[in-house]
Amino acid sequence: MASGEKRVEIEKELSFGPVHPALIEPYRIRLFVNDEIVEDCELNINMAYRGIEKLFDGLPVERALLIAERVCGICSHVHAWNAVRVIEGGLSIVVPPRANYIRVLTNEMQRITSHLILFGHAFEVVGHETFAMRSFLLRESFMDLISYVGGNRVMPSVPIIGGVRPRADLTESLKRVILERVDEFEEKYKGYVTRIIEDPLVMSRLTGIGFLTKEDAVRFYATGPTGRASGWDYDVRTKMDEYKPFEFNVITDESCDTKARIVVRALEIFESLKIIRQVVKSLPEGPVVNQSWKAEEMDFTTAYLEAYRGELMHSYALDSHGRIRNYKIRTPTPTNLAAMEHACVGDHVTEAILTIASCDPCLTCCTRAEVVDSGRSRILSDFEIVQKYGWRK
Amino acid sequence: MDNLLFFPLLLIISSVVAAAVAILYSLVLPGIERKVQARIQQRIGPPILTPGFWSVLKFGYKRRIEPTAQIPGLYKSLVYFGVGIIVLIFLFSTPYWWAVLGWGSVLGIAGLLKLEEVLYVLMGSQSQSFLSAGMPVPDLAKGSKHVGIRREFVEQHSAERALKMMAIGSLPFYIALLVPFAMAKSGMISSVVAMQNPAYMLTSEWWSVPLPSNPVIFTLPGIIAALVYFVGYVMLLNEKPFSILKAKIDLIEGGVLEYASKLRAYYYLMRNMLMFALSSIFVTLFIGIPFDPFMPLMMLLNIALSLILPVMLATLVAFSPILTFRQIYPAAIGLSAFGILALVISLGV
Amino acid sequence: MNLKATSRKNAIHIMVAYTGGCNGCDIEIVNAVLSPRYDVEQYRVLLTWNPREADVLIVSGVVTWQMVEPLKKIYESIPEPKGVVAVGACAVNGNVYKNLVGDIGQNEEIWAPVETVIPVDVKVPGCAPRPEDVITGVVKALPKILEAP
Ligand code: SF4
Repeated sequence: MASGEKRVEIEKELSFGPVHPALIEPYRIRLFVNDEIVEDCELNINMAYRGIEKLFDGLPVERALLIAERVCGICSHVHAWNAVRVIEGGLSIVVPPRANYIRVLTNEMQRITSHLILFGHAFEVVGHETFAMRSFLLRESFMDLISYVGGNRVMPSVPIIGGVRPRADLTESLKRVILERVDEFEEKYKGYVTRIIEDPLVMSRLTGIGFLTKEDAVRFYATGPTGRASGWDYDVRTKMDEYKPFEFNVITDESCDTKARIVVRALEIFESLKIIRQVVKSLPEGPVVNQSWKAEEMDFTTAYLEAYRGELMHSYALDSHGRIRNYKIRTPTPTNLAAMEHACVGDHVTEAILTIASCDPCLTCCTRAEVVDSGRSRILSDFEIVQKYGWRK
Repeated sequence: MDNLLFFPLLLIISSVVAAAVAILYSLVLPGIERKVQARIQQRIGPPILTPGFWSVLKFGYKRRIEPTAQIPGLYKSLVYFGVGIIVLIFLFSTPYWWAVLGWGSVLGIAGLLKLEEVLYVLMGSQSQSFLSAGMPVPDLAKGSKHVGIRREFVEQHSAERALKMMAIGSLPFYIALLVPFAMAKSGMISSVVAMQNPAYMLTSEWWSVPLPSNPVIFTLPGIIAALVYFVGYVMLLNEKPFSILKAKIDLIEGGVLEYASKLRAYYYLMRNMLMFALSSIFVTLFIGIPFDPFMPLMMLLNIALSLILPVMLATLVAFSPILTFRQIYPAAIGLSAFGILALVISLGV
Repeated sequence: MNLKATSRKNAIHIMVAYTGGCNGCDIEIVNAVLSPRYDVEQYRVLLTWNPREADVLIVSGVVTWQMVEPLKKIYESIPEPKGVVAVGACAVNGNVYKNLVGDIGQNEEIWAPVETVIPVDVKVPGCAPRPEDVITGVVKALPKILEAP
């Protein structure tokens, strides 16, 4: 939220959502506008609250994976992966290198689909249907690959504790298919990106709106492509052991606007392709899963991972029966959205929505409601809010 | 026109035939538009009749449902007005109306079109769909910085944008519309057509096809004006890239959100008719082939040529994003300048 | 076949209401509609975001508390005849959010299945169902609409 240094008179409020073409997910945008200019913005993101962290409490850790994967359907793999990384880190479970390679492979493939969803969505918001459709068409080739590896297009369930599911092991023929598809994809994708960059109308819509300076990005902790588009080269992948064997660049852009956020993602896809090639070409032999582990008491452990939208944190503890206690998830979207609330001030209404879309909000991940009640701040669930305050009049 | 006794009869017959043909044909146009877009987007796309004809029929068969509006009666009547106005615009461009009370002139067309634009403002201020401010979700947090601010329905915002579009967005269209009249040095459609197509007479044989000898579109001011007319056509239809007043991503559909069942069928009809009427008027004014129900071949020619603008429109829609006022203002001003240039040249000629 | 049924069969407007699941279903539906690979428009199905225009409502996701009222409202706003397709395990039975709970025993934050909120005609199970299944689900909802007076 923009810090209100000077108070502006606000003429009216426009609110959209939760069922609205621009925000496919249930959340609500309240724009405070003067004429067409957005003076302030408030995002209500509590409509998808499912109490997911509470569900984990008391579940055996293997079963918890099922829920972890369903935290978000776009980045299902990162959630599943990070959930197992917590326990692997906490109990020092050794993961075979081949398994790590396959996890990285799935991660990068899903990163590409996720970025392509953003393009699809952003171009829907820009109003350019043709580009949106192209992007969805391009995405299909990687959805196919994910389903070849994991068996499902959306929920591949590749990682399990100690490795990957044996079904997800790469066969020689699958390796060949992946390499072929990647080449094919790269060629088409290059054409697609060139066409976007050369389209003057689309570019004029994207450039010069939604500024987010580097200081603000750091202040709001806007990680992922959102922060990198503001020139903050922060990428958890560079710090992760799993990514040590691979060589890739961290893409940053100094221009800080909505265009930068799109361009950074567009270029990141090329880096992902690079990683995929390296994984497939240098895949080590060996087992894919290490089953010699036992769930035992574990202290509160945290794992960080570069999800497709920024830094993701999972953390939990295990009690003496190996059951999960105190699961906490922090997804990149809450901080990114706060940055977006700030960035869209001063733009036209239509552009503000584009700015919000350009940070690729994914709200199902994490929603908690906070109600400031007589000075004390406490966390309420939606159930309690409805009980207490009733439906809006 | 020598027989004054038969004239009213002919007028009525011609109007009925023209309106019927126009309605039927305009129901095919959106399908063609969608199909062209779909092919550009590398997909098969809907069958030609689905977006227009069958949709309208289907909405006609749906159960009535009361719209949420400030004054539902007024809101409902607006769409009937819309259809009426557009049918009249179209009829005024057919030859038998040219002589009636001076309606077949630039004033008749421009005036009615302006009226049609006003309808969008009225619709926007009436409609109150629950999709925006009325959504029953608890969204007013106690700690919010802004309390007690007027919450507006998106349709009202659409009405404000419609006003702006009325003021500046549609200006190029009217300037372009003036050019043929300026070249003919007359305000009547009959003289514009007579200038381009001297062979055409109301009393010609029904099978004859008098082709225009010097169409406006082949002159320098004519071609500039035709281009401006096309962009203005897109603006008047509120299609991309000028669809800001019903931009899907923030206003969903704008003022027409609440029309359901039969009323929606009428709204579809109104939009499609406008698409056809303006494109038929283009053929009449810029090429010189009027829509004459008593000369079927001539009429068919007009209909066939009226495909040009919708197909160009579909291509433009597929390749362009929505522009915001940041881009619309300069675009409209630039286009108006072009239009005025064409006007000046044509007056000088 | 009479004109009424033919017209209804030839133009089907669908609307998507996403009530808070994991996004997976949602994207698959949008995929089914938008991606040129599946392209529902060729089957005479058009996407709309306006309940006043819709014939078939596609609901996905567990219904969270805040989405109950909007969902009811959307359902009411659709003029008759209408059909509802519940897409995804979440909408059909609540998926893991309802059935895989730890200590709390019962998840009170969600209203799944969708049936408890609005009547459902067709259920498309799967997590997430493939776009083909979504299209099949929409087609299965048709007979009810066609036969309605
Ligand atoms: S059914 Fe599965 S994919 Fe669909 S919303 Fe629920 S968890 Fe996500």
